[in-house]
Amino acid sequence: MVRASRGPSTDEAFERIRADAPVTRRDYLRILVTISGGLALGAFAVAAGVFPRRTGSAGAKKIADALAAGTSVTFAYPGPDDRAIAMRLPDGMLVAYSSICTHLSCAVLWEAPNEELVCPCHHGRFEASTGRVLGGPPPRPLPVIDLEERADGIYAVRARVV
Amino acid sequence: MSAGDRRVRVHPGAPGPGPGAGVDRDPERAAVVVARIALVATVVVGQLWALTVALDAYFEEDMRVVWWLVGFEVVSFLVALGVWLMAPGER
Repeated sequence: MVRASRGPSTDEAFERIRADAPVTRRDYLRILVTISGGLALGAFAVAAGVFPRRTGSAGAKKIADALAAGTSVTFAYPGPDDRAIAMRLPDGMLVAYSSICTHLSCAVLWEAPNEELVCPCHHGRFEASTGRVLGGPPPRPLPVIDLEERADGIYAVRARVV
Repeated sequence: MSAGDRRVRVHPGAPGPGPGAGVDRDPERAAVVVARIALVATVVVGQLWALTVALDAYFEEDMRVVWWLVGFEVVSFLVALGVWLMAPGER
């Protein structure tokens, strides 16, 4: 019986294909230059404002009739998706911040006993009276929401970075 | 016969790379290409750093810093492009 001669095995065939068409050092150089151009375009995109900053004014928006010491209320300001939290601290100070963590945009929660805003995702901690970072990975303080206490309630008037 | 690339095997009568395939035939030219890759890779690392700083400055509404970093990114890209274009035969 004549047996047909076998060609190279699959592994050998793949090995030969890889040897035939390797990614050359010149290809790596071209890829790196393309990445460099992409990063330059990315910087332009950042400067052009592709990322929402969640600051600015959307006019006065009533967020509550009143807030007792030690209580909080959540609301959206300046946009409908810009979550925020207002708190009356135990000393009577009224403060409000964006409740979107500056690390990876989880919602921060108020821990009244510690007077801290805490991000449960990566344990970022913010000071309740100023919004500044106390610990964890957040790179920036929480944007502050300016409030006005009027006769008929509490209004958010502006969101700003500090 | 050159030792060649270990991945390259000679199969008499079969198509494929012959002896010596995969070997740097001109090591000095190869060294220059590697140097250019190292240079552009360093530029790209600098650009990654600049992009993170620009993003942080953008969220802090410090647009002066953002635009400076955009300039840095563009200059870095031009440097990378220059390194790539400097040897037309090597692309």
